Amino acid sequence: MRVVFMLSALISVLAVFLICVFLFANGFPAIAKIGAGEFLLGRNWRPSNDLYGIFPMILGSLYVTAGAVLVGVPIGILSALFLALFCPKSLYRLVKPAIELLAGIPSVVYGFFGMVVLVPWVRRSFGGHGNSILTASLLLGVMILPTIINVSESAIRAVPRSYYEGGLALGSSHERTSLFILLPAAKSGVFAGIVLGIGRAIGETMAVIMVAGNQPRLPNGILKGVRTLTANIVIEMGYAAELHREALIATGAVLFVFILIINLSFTLVNRRD
Amino acid sequence: MFQCVNSDCGACLNRRFYYVLFTAFLSCLLFGCAASETFNPGAEIVLVSREDGSGTRGAFVDVTGIRAEDSNGQTVDLTSIEAIIANGTNIVMTIVAQNPYAIGYISLGSLNGTVKALDIDGTEISVETIQSGDYRLSRPFIAATRSDVSLAARDFLNFIRSGAGREVIQNAKYVAVSDGAYEVTNGLSGKVVIGGSSSVSPVMEKLKEAYRVLNPGVEIEIQQSDSTTGMLNAAEGILDIGMASRPLKDSEKEALFPIEIAHDGIAVIVNRENPLESVSFDQVKAIFEGLALTWDDVSVAPPR
Repeated sequence: MRVVFMLSALISVLAVFLICVFLFANGFPAIAKIGAGEFLLGRNWRPSNDLYGIFPMILGSLYVTAGAVLVGVPIGILSALFLALFCPKSLYRLVKPAIELLAGIPSVVYGFFGMVVLVPWVRRSFGGHGNSILTASLLLGVMILPTIINVSESAIRAVPRSYYEGGLALGSSHERTSLFILLPAAKSGVFAGIVLGIGRAIGETMAVIMVAGNQPRLPNGILKGVRTLTANIVIEMGYAAELHREALIATGAVLFVFILIINLSFTLVNRRD
Repeated sequence: MFQCVNSDCGACLNRRFYYVLFTAFLSCLLFGCAASETFNPGAEIVLVSREDGSGTRGAFVDVTGIRAEDSNGQTVDLTSIEAIIANGTNIVMTIVAQNPYAIGYISLGSLNGTVKALDIDGTEISVETIQSGDYRLSRPFIAATRSDVSLAARDFLNFIRSGAGREVIQNAKYVAVSDGAYEVTNGLSGKVVIGGSSSVSPVMEKLKEAYRVLNPGVEIEIQQSDSTTGMLNAAEGILDIGMASRPLKDSEKEALFPIEIAHDGIAVIVNRENPLESVSFDQVKAIFEGLALTWDDVSVAPPR
């Protein structure tokens, strides 16, 4: 029986290994052919003219993810505090399933919601095209909420009760204790939630494509459109051939490296605990 | 340092404050959504294009001439870099339907009432105007063969140009161009290899299916590449029939005999709130090259 369990566990390892091999075996030759500098720092992406610079997309992914963090992290942490420390039981029964449902909504549904509701709203309220970094950030901010809330909430709940009692004993109010004693004590768990959220935001594809505008150039403002690494792959994969196709796989490899970095920092944050 | 707050009063104050905040937020949200806008012609034109490599984009750029050759002799797509890139006809239509200032282009077959198709040079897009050639944003679908074409391939072409083929083409929402007679030749067999334009392939697949029902003995293989490769391979005899979604070049006509099998119209679409009804061919080009920035730039010059 032990062998069966072990084999099952090995399948995911094998899958990761195969994906790694595929990405790097296909991606690196393309990067070498295009030139690493030209590929990573080139500002022009025009596959039909053999120009493959993904710098705008790298920045695009970073901008959109940073925006999502700005939107999602404060709301997420405050929500987690509320759920763990302030929420009446009756309300908890409503809020918790709602958050779990939020996590279960398929991203294409988020995308459609963004396209039909958020894009016009941003256009009317802030100007610009509507399909912009801001819109994508707002949408992604909402999408990463469940991850941040759930992980942070359990981290806050895991703080020993004596911390809370100690805070009260020093004369600080419930709010003060929660914000300045319990939250710092749960710091590493909250960070883990944020890192997971970042991972989700940078890897999100479908929803972003539908609201971000996807222009492959450096944006000059948060009301301008942007193309992310994921969007670049999905949009063009259907038509790509030869070097173009390899360049897209190389784009995937770059994205994979980003995810690796994020996961590594997640491990580091956890280990310090 | 630590304040001792009377919990009852603090809570009730807090609650009122949050209530006001929440209501303000909600009303702001709702107002933003519900506020109707009047069309402002001074507003920036929002371009919606398709992704690089898309057949529709290729055809649109070809027909309108939104391209140039650079110093290396490479063709450069001049579509403005600020254009929103939508990776599907439906997304183009949704964006245009949501944004009063947007303009995009789609295949005629996909056009519906959620958006408004502009007249080009005063000609409305329709099957008739595309057929007569008055509507300029259309492209022919061409099947090209050498003179020594096989019997089976010739029979398949006859089928495409027949009433039955017409039905298949029209069901696929393209404009059929011919309506000939077709009779099944009994016992016909052989293999027909077809290749070329990825825009023509979908309708060719449907034609193949319909044809195979009548002629189970004939095997048809469709290879998808692009118009130029298709013509090249057909001229070399690698393919029996080459597919192209553009008129043949003179050099290609020397070796190949082109047959128009259908027309595909490209509709330039705007939001229904946009008062503009007609643009000129050159205006379409200027708009998508990013030269006409606001709707004023377009409506100032008289259409036609």
